[in-house]
Amino acid sequence: MVKGSGSSQQRQNSLGVDRLTLRIAVLGVLVVAAFVTLFSRLWFLQVLATDQYQALAKQNRVRTVYSEPPRGRILDRNGRPLVVNKESIAVTIDQDTLQSGSLRRHVFKRLARLLGIKLKDLHRNASSLGASPYKPVPVAYGVSEQDANVILENREDYPGVGVATLPVRAYPAGALAAQDLGYVGEISPADLKLPQFKGGHPPYAPGDIVGKLGVERVYDRYLRGVPGIQRVVVNSLGEPTQTRRVQQEQPGPDLVLSLDEKIQRETQRALKSGITAARAAGFAAPAGSAVVMDPRNGQVLALASLPTYDPAIAANGLTAKEFNRLGAATPNNPDDDAFLNRPIQAAANPGSTFKVVTAGAAMATGVASPYSTRDCPGTMTIPPQGGPGSVLYHDWTLADLGIMGFPQSLEVSCDTFYYQLGYEMQTRFGVKGTEFWSKNKTDVPAGRELFQRYARTAGFGHPTGIDLPYENSGVVPDQSWCHAQYLATKKFPTPTCQFGWLPGYTVNMSIGQGDMRATPLQMAVTYAAIANGGTVWSPRIAMGLQRQNQNGTVKTLRKFKPRVMAHLPLDQTELGVIQQGLQEVISNPNGTAYSAFAGYPLSKYPIAGKTGTAQIGTSAFNDAWFISYGPIPSPRYVIAVYVQKAGHGGESAAPIARQIWESIFGIKHKSTVRLGQDQSG
Amino acid sequence: MRAEGIFGEAVDRIGGEPISARMARKAPVRHLDLTLLIVTLLLSAFGALMIYSATVHQQASSGIDPYLKKQLVYMVVGFIVLLTVSFFDYRYLRAFAPFIYGGIVLGLLIVLSPIGSTQLGATRWIDLGSFQVQPSELAKVGIIVALGAYLAERRGEVKARDVAACCAIVAVPAALIFLEPDLGTALVFVAILMTLFLVAGAKIRHFLALVLLGVAVIAGALHFGLVQQYQIDRFTAFMDPHPNVQSVGYNLTQAKIAIASGGLEGKGLEGKNTQTSLNFVPEQHTDFIFTAVGEQLGFLGSATLLGLFALLIWRALRIATLSRDFFGTLLACGILALWAFQIFVNVGMTMGIMPITGIPLPFISFGGSSLITNFASIGVLLNVHMRRFL
Repeated sequence: MVKGSGSSQQRQNSLGVDRLTLRIAVLGVLVVAAFVTLFSRLWFLQVLATDQYQALAKQNRVRTVYSEPPRGRILDRNGRPLVVNKESIAVTIDQDTLQSGSLRRHVFKRLARLLGIKLKDLHRNASSLGASPYKPVPVAYGVSEQDANVILENREDYPGVGVATLPVRAYPAGALAAQDLGYVGEISPADLKLPQFKGGHPPYAPGDIVGKLGVERVYDRYLRGVPGIQRVVVNSLGEPTQTRRVQQEQPGPDLVLSLDEKIQRETQRALKSGITAARAAGFAAPAGSAVVMDPRNGQVLALASLPTYDPAIAANGLTAKEFNRLGAATPNNPDDDAFLNRPIQAAANPGSTFKVVTAGAAMATGVASPYSTRDCPGTMTIPPQGGPGSVLYHDWTLADLGIMGFPQSLEVSCDTFYYQLGYEMQTRFGVKGTEFWSKNKTDVPAGRELFQRYARTAGFGHPTGIDLPYENSGVVPDQSWCHAQYLATKKFPTPTCQFGWLPGYTVNMSIGQGDMRATPLQMAVTYAAIANGGTVWSPRIAMGLQRQNQNGTVKTLRKFKPRVMAHLPLDQTELGVIQQGLQEVISNPNGTAYSAFAGYPLSKYPIAGKTGTAQIGTSAFNDAWFISYGPIPSPRYVIAVYVQKAGHGGESAAPIARQIWESIFGIKHKSTVRLGQDQSG
Repeated sequence: MRAEGIFGEAVDRIGGEPISARMARKAPVRHLDLTLLIVTLLLSAFGALMIYSATVHQQASSGIDPYLKKQLVYMVVGFIVLLTVSFFDYRYLRAFAPFIYGGIVLGLLIVLSPIGSTQLGATRWIDLGSFQVQPSELAKVGIIVALGAYLAERRGEVKARDVAACCAIVAVPAALIFLEPDLGTALVFVAILMTLFLVAGAKIRHFLALVLLGVAVIAGALHFGLVQQYQIDRFTAFMDPHPNVQSVGYNLTQAKIAIASGGLEGKGLEGKNTQTSLNFVPEQHTDFIFTAVGEQLGFLGSATLLGLFALLIWRALRIATLSRDFFGTLLACGILALWAFQIFVNVGMTMGIMPITGIPLPFISFGGSSLITNFASIGVLLNVHMRRFL
């Protein structure tokens, strides 16, 4: 290494070149090792691990920002707004700034004092599922402008706190159809797992505001609109440097309901007035429902449920306290549950209103013809030949009303007439005892249980399919239902159906008692079928989606068509005798609703209907039903009224229906409901 | 030993050539290490480009990037310093060594006096109006001269007394720098000292004793709270795989993302170099300049830079062996240690294999004192190389 010139030769001798060369070589090796280390690390990062880090770099700078489009309005069939949006001042917090515990506690304490809300509620709202680290989280809605100004003017006292105007729901029509419209709120973890909230565009995510009840829930997918999506490139300070719009924001389209605001209002008013009158007469009358439906197409014009609530209180988010106040006080007795949409959720014994189904079944199965007659004694033993196990059944009156046909049987609501039809169908098609029971299920062959099969065709025992959530199916009791009940209760001392299907079950069912249960909407559907010549509709409350353009023109985006579920297997003659009977219920002085419609201009606005009085096992009060349709001969409305624990159908339900009819037809009428007289069963 | 040539000129008796020709052959300018000079110019040009690309995005107005402008001025000044240093025979430095040493200690004392200027919590600069001097940078080359002068006297026979004396020589400026505080630069001094001990002929037992002393000093510093918590945090951050955004590890995470996302070919100087252009890497034009190289130029560019550094180190090592005297060898080795340590720690820190310390990357990082010190070091190397026959 060292050149052999004279001078360096000298140095070599004095220092010992070998040792110096060795030492420099050690230094060289150290340097080489350092460079090899750097090169290998560089190779690892930039060649082997680059994909992973490129993804991180992208994440670093691109943020996806979703806008919140205004939710679609909800209109009645005539375009009157039922639900709109209004601006509400909300206080938001920035999670990033309020990350530290002590600062967060201080600011929240100050906020709670200013806004007069509980500290606990603030913390709960702030830690909601959707609390995004990049988006201010609303913690209080409906804040007064004054409070908002205090926050804005004292920024240093409220670090990380912001004020935003957010759209909330408003109800220009007031407390109308609350259960049908529903309310909105933050999506729950349970909802997120439902098929309805699977997918979506963009997919539903925690923190989304969705419909919790009513059409808000069913049509949420449309009403929510399409959020604008922006990809924002941010720098290290989080400041946007460039923005690319991926998707344009689209407000939710307007949902047009088939509800008629006027009819809904009148229906609610009449129902409330009727319940007040029933209570004044000494009945418990805790709750009631009313349905107005178009029998020609299954469109629902009014759907009223009492007790009800003002949906405006849910607009700013329903607090737990309000939720408890409006919900059922005790889980076992939902009589006071304001959230329950009774016309579709409360299934009860339909009582005598069910006789049209028994009549139809008897004719459809050939047990009777339209012109058949039966006796109407005060009592009857079933089976008629007596013997062990025979039961004595009573009509609602002890008088023997003599021999009658279908029309009269409906007019006077003869129970024994229908007991006979029921028993005859039982002996010809019914099942007995534990027939067809197998271990876990029951298969009744075709040709048996024709009464039940007819009832299901007429719309019972399954949901009507209306576009509202949580519909009740009701019950058409049959052998497989009996077996299921037995399996569920066989550990008890006296299990339900412990002897299998008994003929008495069919007899009870023939007058809408026993375990036969129907919702008011199901009753409306079956009466609509009688009124319209046999078409069983699956009712609809939403008619379509539309969008109002800036220039005021309305563009229909989509129509929701009602669906035909079935056709009654009855010809015009068979339907005719039922229709005739239903007219006489109101028009004939012997009719059970004659008194309730005294003074009603029947010749001008002819209607038909049927009272029902359902006895409930242990209750001192009966449930009152009245289902009617009109105007005859081409009915445009079916009205079903059901008042819980309010006496006889002709007594408290029919007068409510009468008020609704009078307001629909524009007949002058008293503003309050007066009870009628009816002793029938 | 001279004879008269045919033209009456003095001729070497053995070679038979004129003395003047021999003198001319030995003239320093004819033994310039051109490779080293070219590598130096390439490196500083590379650095200027990277400083430009790392800072141009921060400038609101158009026009010449002020960082680039300053760095170009530093390069010109540095080149003048280089010429000056290489002009005088380096052997004079031996005589001047005590004065140089005294000068750097004085400079460091001024920094710690109220005259010193504070930035980012550290007092490292002397403010001279339009520009600032960082004496700790100049002290790096000064300490090499001082140690070289002392150890050259020992002629390869280093005794325990000498080790202690060298430690004392280094301890004064290193302690002053540590107080600024600037732990990284203080460590550079230790690296220089160890390298010079190795080359000057310290015994293995000396090294063992120094290791024990080092452990004792570290333990003492930790025990008496001389080391700040943030210094420990920075030191240990590279071992934390999941750092918080607000923590020290943030720098490191962003630096690694920048380098590794560059891939093989890099993202280029324009457009897609998001880590650089969106300022995700703090201090990117100074200590973290290598991230700008990694992201924009990829593995090819980074490896080229490391290759240039390897060339630089190789030239220094070569000059150490070619040197005419032991002093020159020690100077070359000291400068080699200065660069190799800084390169390894700086590049290693941006890639997450070394602790984070405030050590600049030679010739590349923005900063006048550092660049001028490095140019001066090149001047010393060229000086040793040129005068190897005199």
